[in-house]
Amino acid sequence: MELSNRETWATLHGMVFGALFLLAFAGGVAGLWSLRPEWVTVNGLQERMTRLRLGVTTMAIVAWVTVITGTWIVYPWYRAKPPSGTTDLTEYPRSFLLETPGKEDWHEFGMEWKEHVAWIAPIVATAVAFVVVYYGNQLIVDKRLRYTAMALFVVAFAAAGIAGLLGAFITKAAPLQ
Amino acid sequence: MATIRVSREGGQMIDEIEWKAEELDIVERPNGPAMAAIIAAGIGALILGILTTLNEASTDVHDFLEIDKDVGPLSGKTLFAVIGYLVAWAVLAPLLWRRSISWNTGLIITGLLLVGGFVGTFPKFFELFASE
Repeated sequence: MELSNRETWATLHGMVFGALFLLAFAGGVAGLWSLRPEWVTVNGLQERMTRLRLGVTTMAIVAWVTVITGTWIVYPWYRAKPPSGTTDLTEYPRSFLLETPGKEDWHEFGMEWKEHVAWIAPIVATAVAFVVVYYGNQLIVDKRLRYTAMALFVVAFAAAGIAGLLGAFITKAAPLQ
Repeated sequence: MATIRVSREGGQMIDEIEWKAEELDIVERPNGPAMAAIIAAGIGALILGILTTLNEASTDVHDFLEIDKDVGPLSGKTLFAVIGYLVAWAVLAPLLWRRSISWNTGLIITGLLLVGGFVGTFPKFFELFASE
């Protein structure tokens, strides 16, 4: 039961950092949604604010770590060109997908979308983190600010979700070994 | 103030928890800093979308964006998008720091920028501009 260096990084990228961001999203949205003075006490609101500040900041950092490891560590292995004459393409996922009939779209549509759209997630998540950290308790009374943060959170999640889902399918179609 | 009464089964005991009214002081800040952050995020997304499409349309742009051979043009697209995002934020933040601007205006601008970013990074769109 061993993982190669490539498998380890691919796992860290997708199943640790990426999954952590996607899983934490539900908590973040729930935290923002329930930040209402009519629902909880002042002590409760302040406890939630502390958790929310920590949560969204961590999520933004994790989103950056996910795209940086994905682009600069895992992606070069994915797109590496096989030496001429190579017949076994299993170690060259991009070439494997393009050369296997019926699998081209996993690269031409799936990977092409994933590798770009993923970068929108940390950019937007950072804006949300800034809003939550800078405005803090004002989010409790300022509905527009809170709803704006939530809407942007959903945008970041959508970008990460598209990338994550496509990444999972592509890994299934052509595992990085 | 709120009171919660807890009745245990059997009716043997009734506890009473009473919350006292508490105050929370909030200093309201102008929305400028938030607008600067979210509009800058939209600009970053749009730059990514534009570079993704230009990369497809021009081999010169493709070569220019290939900052790292192993990563390919994705290295330049993402690097310049992040730089553009940070520069936009650095420019907008001091301009808007003590100001409030219309929510609708700010959100519409951000929405359009983000839509541009998503569309520009969508393969079916940028492939329309593919050079031969």
